[in-house]
Amino acid sequence: MRLYALAVYLFLYIPIGIIALFSFNAGRHAAQLTGFSLQWYGKALDNPFVIGALKTSFTVALISATLATLCGTLAAVALQGMRGRARMLYDAALYVAVMVPGIVIGIATLIALVTVFDAVNPLLLQAFGAEAPQLGLGKGSLIAAHGMFTMALVVVIVRARLQGMDRALLEASADLGAPPMRTFLQVTLPQIAPAVLAGFLLAFTFSFDDFIIAFFVAGSETTLPIYVFSSIRRGVTPEINAIGTMVLVASLLVLITAQMMLRRRAR
Amino acid sequence: MTTDRVQPGSKTNIRETKMTKYRDHIPAKEFLTHLESLRKGSISRRHFLAVTGIGAATSLLAASLPGRAFAQAIGDRVGIATWPNYHDPANLDAFRDATGAAVDVNVFGSNEEMLAKLQAGATGWDVVVATNYTISTYVEEGIIQELDLTQIPNFDRAATDPRFADPGVIDGKTYAIPRNIGTTGYCVNSNDLEGAEAKSWKDFWDLARDKLSGRAMVHDYQLTAIGNALKYYGYSFNSVDSAELADAEKLLIEAKPHLFAINSDYQPSMRSGDASMSMCWTGDAVQLQRDMPEILYVLGTEGGELWSDFFTIPTSAPNKAAAYALINFLLEPQMAAKEALFHGYPTGDSRVDALLPEEMRNSEILYPAADLLNALEFGAAVTLTNPERAEIMARFKAA
Amino acid sequence: MRPSLRTSLFLAPATAWLLCMLVLPLVVVLVFSFGTRGAAGGYVPALSLENYANLGARWAAFQNTLVLAPLGTLTCLIIAWPLAYFLAIKADPRWRTLLLILVIVPFWTSILIRSYAWIQILGGNGLPSLIAELGMGKPRLINTPFAVMVGIVYGYLPLMVFPIYVALEKLDKKLLEASSDLGSPPFRTFLQVSLPLSLSGVATGSMLVFILLMGEFLIPQILGGGKVFFVGNALVDLFLQSRNWPFGAAVAATLVLVMLVTVTLYLRAMKRLSGGRDDVALM
Repeated sequence: MRLYALAVYLFLYIPIGIIALFSFNAGRHAAQLTGFSLQWYGKALDNPFVIGALKTSFTVALISATLATLCGTLAAVALQGMRGRARMLYDAALYVAVMVPGIVIGIATLIALVTVFDAVNPLLLQAFGAEAPQLGLGKGSLIAAHGMFTMALVVVIVRARLQGMDRALLEASADLGAPPMRTFLQVTLPQIAPAVLAGFLLAFTFSFDDFIIAFFVAGSETTLPIYVFSSIRRGVTPEINAIGTMVLVASLLVLITAQMMLRRRAR
Repeated sequence: MTTDRVQPGSKTNIRETKMTKYRDHIPAKEFLTHLESLRKGSISRRHFLAVTGIGAATSLLAASLPGRAFAQAIGDRVGIATWPNYHDPANLDAFRDATGAAVDVNVFGSNEEMLAKLQAGATGWDVVVATNYTISTYVEEGIIQELDLTQIPNFDRAATDPRFADPGVIDGKTYAIPRNIGTTGYCVNSNDLEGAEAKSWKDFWDLARDKLSGRAMVHDYQLTAIGNALKYYGYSFNSVDSAELADAEKLLIEAKPHLFAINSDYQPSMRSGDASMSMCWTGDAVQLQRDMPEILYVLGTEGGELWSDFFTIPTSAPNKAAAYALINFLLEPQMAAKEALFHGYPTGDSRVDALLPEEMRNSEILYPAADLLNALEFGAAVTLTNPERAEIMARFKAA
Repeated sequence: MRPSLRTSLFLAPATAWLLCMLVLPLVVVLVFSFGTRGAAGGYVPALSLENYANLGARWAAFQNTLVLAPLGTLTCLIIAWPLAYFLAIKADPRWRTLLLILVIVPFWTSILIRSYAWIQILGGNGLPSLIAELGMGKPRLINTPFAVMVGIVYGYLPLMVFPIYVALEKLDKKLLEASSDLGSPPFRTFLQVSLPLSLSGVATGSMLVFILLMGEFLIPQILGGGKVFFVGNALVDLFLQSRNWPFGAAVAATLVLVMLVTVTLYLRAMKRLSGGRDDVALM
């Protein structure tokens, strides 16, 4: 049993180890180790396109995850008190949102937005003249598409937590005469906080790592996964390994910090 | 030390200098190490110039002469849609240093992908590098605009081979001006041939199914994958005749189990030795040969593709002033020669040819013999939109 | 504030978002799927069933996906279950959290970069030359369905381990002890106690992995060398190469339909198997 677990962990970590190992390669070939060097880290951090792509990915992930967490949490709370056909309809929509593959979301969003833009842009021109703002694909469409999917995830996660919540507390609060809003802020919210945080982290990670939706709806914006994809196309230098290792270490730090914060609060 | 005569980066790998921001100053000790490496030949002169900053400084001087004129007016960013391994990052850095506009490079896998994204209303690119057979479609679709040649004084029609410039002129209006030209042949690792003959497209497909089974690559690109299968039978590279296409499809599907991959990014596999043969463009062959002299470039005796790539400006370009500035900058003969040294494609511009080192001018990869050249065809616009070719490609990949 | 008013206010942003970015796009896909292709690509409005009649032209892609997606899910399951069992039952509790985190960590590197690492491992200079040195011939691994399967298992294993772990962790260990005290062999304990009780986790995990695999594009593209073709690859080509939007829309609509049907049937079956309990959640 233990041996088996060890084997699976090796399977999981050998590729990661190879990525990290070759990021310290002195040579530029990804296939041969020629000595130890930190030059690829310097190059990656010095490369304006890497930094630009990192910024784009970070901005999109932060905004979309924040909006998705907000809207998703509110919706999950509201859905608690809902029954009947409206509830079923909503559940169906969430089910579809989670289930439709990313590639279909990407394509569907692309053709829908292009159709809408084609209809709206001439009207804008008519209304505001030649200097009119024109709608186009970019960060906005990316945030909207990522957020839609991750919002559905947040609803599912937060709802699971709400269902497991101690109802007696809510009733006690109501019996003591607290208005619903106060009950929500002082009883419900603290209880679902871990789920909200988990939802946010998941939403952020998804958006930060997504390639396929971005490939279709990012327009001319370059996110980090798109940059990595086109680098693989050109033949990879250890620069990509360095980027991967840095992202991994950064996310580990976030994970550990979040874990520590949660623990401190639990005490 | 000056850079007025550019030297080929003989032993350096192209990516050595990729995407690097060069510092102006480096410590004296490091400078000496680099100087020593240069003398020993382990790095090229160009690399030496780049890492020590001498190259950047001199190219800045050279570039600033025509560039300063619009230094204030063109904004801080210019987006270009182009091909992999097609621009020396050092040259784009020089443009930024001269004009203040950083060049944001987006690379594509095929002309079809580029057209698809532009058709779908993707905006943000100021310059689009498109291949000859797509220009007329771009014009019909209203995607690119007529060029104001007065803003591109470095373009000299008289110096350019009309064969390569003409596809950019439609109804007497210039929509595109040529950047580079090239051919589509195949590269093959001579160590793996063991005396077998590799001269024609017939040889390519026979080798792929027999001696080099499991080691050959075909482009993920309908124009060349289908076109070169058509050449096996001696049909036109551009055929849209159903019977001829059916023959090509049969060959492709027969060959598929023997292929190493269907992928237009063949350099990594050729370098690692996983693949022994691949459909190949001029510049990739030059880049591969720099590091691996055993790699040969073959133009099929039956013919194949001759192409030219063009600078165009999309109607949706957010920064047209910067677009003109970048095109003009890259067409300046010294700069165009530096780019050619990097990517290995000739330009079709006699002023640039004169600046290239003899070694390149005598290269049969860049300048094929007349009899091979005459058999080649330009890709035809009809292949871009022909649904039958698209379907054959899908069946080939799914088989 | 009246509860119903509060409910609608709370729901409003999410509803608007779902309507604009999910319902509208899916409706557009449906409408486009009845259109025809323009001369230079794109969409021309029409009302034709031709695209659906033509679906046979992508049958091979559907076939590949419908074989490799369940196979990949099953492989993930077979590898993940014992690990989840080890983590939930056998592992030292002091190390459990760390071991769990170690399962997710690879997930925090881009799937692109992880797949790229496998190119190096499975490429000619990696594993195959090691095997050749052992004198067993030099197999070709990269750009084969095998390589794609390795990439799939590697990419999605954590998604399978977690739900099963959660289900097994809830399992009362006394049940296991009772079973072995009563002298039943380990395999029977597995069949009659641990497996049935982990079914809710198995259902959730397999569904997650299956959904992702049905729409997979990157792993076959990177590790299959363009030779292993999923519906996802067909879709990308239809939109980015041949620019046949209406046909692409028809393929996309069919894919969604196939998934809705298979996943719903699967969930029903699992619910029946796990005795009608309602804990087969989406996550």
